[in-house]
Amino acid sequence: MVIDTGPIPNAPSLWRVRLGLAGRSLKQNWSLFLRTRIGILGLVIIVFYMLLALAHPILMNTVWDERIYDPVIGFAFDETQQPAPPSLSHPLGTDPLGRDILSQLMFSARSEFLLGLLAAVVTVCIGTMVGATAAYFGGLIDMLLMRLADIMIMMPGISILIVLSALIEVGHLELALLIGILSGFGGTGVVLKSQALSVVVKPYIEAARTSGGGTLHIILVHVVPNLLPLSFLYMMFTVTSAIFSEAVLSFLGLLDVRMSWGLMIHTTESAGYLLQVGEYWWLIFPASLSITLLCSSFYLLGRSLDEVVNPRLRRT
Amino acid sequence: MPNRSSSAPVLTVEDLTMYYGTRSGDVQAVDGVSFAVGRGESVGLVGESGCGKSSIAMTLLKLLPENGRIVDGRILLDGTDLAPLSEDRMRTHRWNRIAMVFQAAMNSFNPVYTVGDQIIEALETHIETDPDVSMERVRELYDLVSLDPSFIGRYPHEYSGGMKQRAGIAMALACEPDLLIADEPTTALDVIVQDRILKELRNVQQKLNMSLIYISHDMAVIAEVSHTVGVMYAGRIVEWGETVDIFKNPMHPYTQTLMSAFPSVTGPKHELAMLGGEPPNLLNPPSGCRFHPRCPYATDICRTDEPPRVEGSGTHWAACWHPLEA
Amino acid sequence: MAAYIVKRVLQIVLTLFVFLTIVFFLVNAQPGDISRLYSLDPNLPPETRAQMQELFGVNEPLWKQYLVHLKNTLTGDLGVSFSLYPRTVADVIKERLPRTLVLFLTATVVSFYLGFGLGKIIAWRRGGWVEYTSTLGGVTLYTVFTPWFGLMMIWLFAFKAGWFPIGKFLDPVVWQDAPSDANTVFNLMLATAVVLSLITFTVFLVTGKKRLGMARALQAGIIAVSVVIVLGVWLSSGVGYLAWDIVRHMVLPIATLTLISFAGTMLLTRNSMLEVIREDYVLAARAKGLPEKAVRDRHVARNALLPVVTSFVFSLAFAIDGGVIIESIFSWPGMGHTLVAATVSEDLPLAVGTFVFVGLFVLLAHLAADILYAYLDPRVRY
Repeated sequence: MVIDTGPIPNAPSLWRVRLGLAGRSLKQNWSLFLRTRIGILGLVIIVFYMLLALAHPILMNTVWDERIYDPVIGFAFDETQQPAPPSLSHPLGTDPLGRDILSQLMFSARSEFLLGLLAAVVTVCIGTMVGATAAYFGGLIDMLLMRLADIMIMMPGISILIVLSALIEVGHLELALLIGILSGFGGTGVVLKSQALSVVVKPYIEAARTSGGGTLHIILVHVVPNLLPLSFLYMMFTVTSAIFSEAVLSFLGLLDVRMSWGLMIHTTESAGYLLQVGEYWWLIFPASLSITLLCSSFYLLGRSLDEVVNPRLRRT
Repeated sequence: MPNRSSSAPVLTVEDLTMYYGTRSGDVQAVDGVSFAVGRGESVGLVGESGCGKSSIAMTLLKLLPENGRIVDGRILLDGTDLAPLSEDRMRTHRWNRIAMVFQAAMNSFNPVYTVGDQIIEALETHIETDPDVSMERVRELYDLVSLDPSFIGRYPHEYSGGMKQRAGIAMALACEPDLLIADEPTTALDVIVQDRILKELRNVQQKLNMSLIYISHDMAVIAEVSHTVGVMYAGRIVEWGETVDIFKNPMHPYTQTLMSAFPSVTGPKHELAMLGGEPPNLLNPPSGCRFHPRCPYATDICRTDEPPRVEGSGTHWAACWHPLEA
Repeated sequence: MAAYIVKRVLQIVLTLFVFLTIVFFLVNAQPGDISRLYSLDPNLPPETRAQMQELFGVNEPLWKQYLVHLKNTLTGDLGVSFSLYPRTVADVIKERLPRTLVLFLTATVVSFYLGFGLGKIIAWRRGGWVEYTSTLGGVTLYTVFTPWFGLMMIWLFAFKAGWFPIGKFLDPVVWQDAPSDANTVFNLMLATAVVLSLITFTVFLVTGKKRLGMARALQAGIIAVSVVIVLGVWLSSGVGYLAWDIVRHMVLPIATLTLISFAGTMLLTRNSMLEVIREDYVLAARAKGLPEKAVRDRHVARNALLPVVTSFVFSLAFAIDGGVIIESIFSWPGMGHTLVAATVSEDLPLAVGTFVFVGLFVLLAHLAADILYAYLDPRVRY
């Protein structure tokens, strides 16, 4: 829900008013959101993985011996052969290098969330600025930004990342930045621009301009905040694509990371267990399923938020 | 005003009741409506928006949305009851027997096909299968509604608003239906075009001796095309009669307000009456006479009891406890 | 129509230049110059290194390098591959591009039909478990971890069931003493496919205006006859068994790519249908007494197709990424596999060259989608 109310003239209370309005519309939208079953499903999965990620440092500090359970350099001395099947001490077994799968899974969950969040924040920052600038100035700037967006939209992101990994060392930070740039200058920017177009024609923008507000001030204080709800929605799709790209690249062994779900499958592959799905299921299923589930959950969340924000898709 | 036909009615609607089911209960859009339309007769249905005029049109064609259902009543088309017909049987009657000119005729053409093809589509569904014969028929129809036949192969976006409306009428006439329903076909047009289309519609109707139900919120328009007028309020017909009678002697207070809502050029000067309040919520309509919350003459009995039918001259009647004197 | 296409082509050319510029700066944005990579490689013969340095012109000013880069790319001179030395990049691409095209085009066309058809049906059965499960299934296929899904397909249908070979382009055992080499056979297959599609297309174009029943029979008849003739020619040619071997290797990757791509089209078609269904002309079509199927296909689906085609450009990037992943999982020696393999083996010229071609392909597909849209929407055409 986009709040189209004009701002109250005295600036200090502006944000408080906005927060209040946002809180009110949040409450209304929450009940709408509760009706979309797929959104709830997505939220449940996300919370589950969040709990996993949060539990990892706690477990490492209390129950789990660091030498055995460290996701990267640990070794399961208590097992006779690696990879060991699931047991009481290793609920999801160990990998070919003797490391605990559950620990790897939980450790990676945290970095997936951080990666997704970072990529989403970068996307939103770039996307709102691109959208607001293109809509506010129009003309040549608009055209250039939109042509650039065309290219970004058409670019196959994973293929670019593959090529880039041949040129530079790509880690989580670089990945998040690149995905943020691709999506922010691309699809998200275009969507936010069309939203911004409906904002810049509002009377209060004209009012701010005639009362001598600077361009940057108007864009930052009046246009951008009205884009935030929609950009929040597009954050969800960015998170999906960030997690997915990370998984693919680290699966191909092109990413410079210590541990991730994709890397877990890469390890399985290089150790030659890839086609022994039946015998060594714990080497493939936990990581692959986690990638799929977390990607779907953010996608589902985004879709149902879309239904809340976009009344045309709503059920009668 | 043309003479009304006296033969057996083409359409007889008896006690028709249609509800829309919603989350908060049934919306009683059409409630116990009865009327008849003779062959070659032109009937006007008038009322505010949301009074159930368009719902009646959709019910007659049985084109209801998923939540709409016919609760009661009969729709007799030449003696055949349409209400219980299966979708497959109903389909053979649509357009072939009852055709319609839509409120937004500008949008009733699919933008990706030529207008001619869309008229031929209707023809092929019901009558003609030979393309050359169909094409010849489309030319006739274009002549009938004074459209340039060179536009047959053009797309809807190449037509102006008035042309689209004419094409809409041509399409409705394609299968020579017994009954044509026109649901506010001129509201989106400017006044001059509106007037021409109305004349066209009246000519065609007389030429083909076709029955017409004309739906509008505008009394003036209704007066121009209809022999008979039905005034609708909150899903019911509150007054019925020949156009002349209704205009000379409105019996229902609601009809009176509707008529005084537009100025007469020749008649005596008077204040334009404004109707206070909103049309009632049909989820939970008022008890007794549905008009009582807005009626200046309402008394206690109006609030509790259904109004009786008061007969006037000829076919003229009104449902009111306190009918106005002539 | 012509003006529209010219405008689109000009835009695409402009975009191509921006794209090549971006590629140039990506390659040049590193510290040091590109020849550093080469000179550090001890396996490289010195004459190639000199050739490389000349080719890249690393001692020239940047703008001159940029012009050289443009000229080289546009004339197809993409350098020499490291990992496949002494083959040139252009040569490698010439061999592998058709393989990718077949995989990608087949999967795209099939998944489009599948997704559009299913989306149509789901939208018509709004609500209830059909919609719920297919939406959920669609989202799962859409977001499934592609390498894993490919792996599962291989494991299930190739490893366990043994119906298909496990990856690769052909079976060397079958090709021992083969009368011709793989590329010749494959190109012949490609030519056959092109001829068959042309026949199909012409038949539909010619019979499109005819009466419905007759047109159907005519279409089916002509297509069936040409398929039989083509099969006969292949069987009697003596290399039919080789073509069959390639086909066997193609089925599984195409099926996998189709499955992961159709869901997006399906979900989009459903949404698009639900918007069109509210249009007045759909009500008018019903009022005309058209059968439900005609209302759905001729009126609702036909218009719902427009946004689906528009968003094809969006899904194109997705599909190409999917293709890259599927090719590497199935070791299908096409552009995607080449891209990954070249990157892993740090074969920069091949990686960049492949990427340029992938970009070029995206641009052309974009143009094709635009022209298709103009063909489908008369409001654009005129």
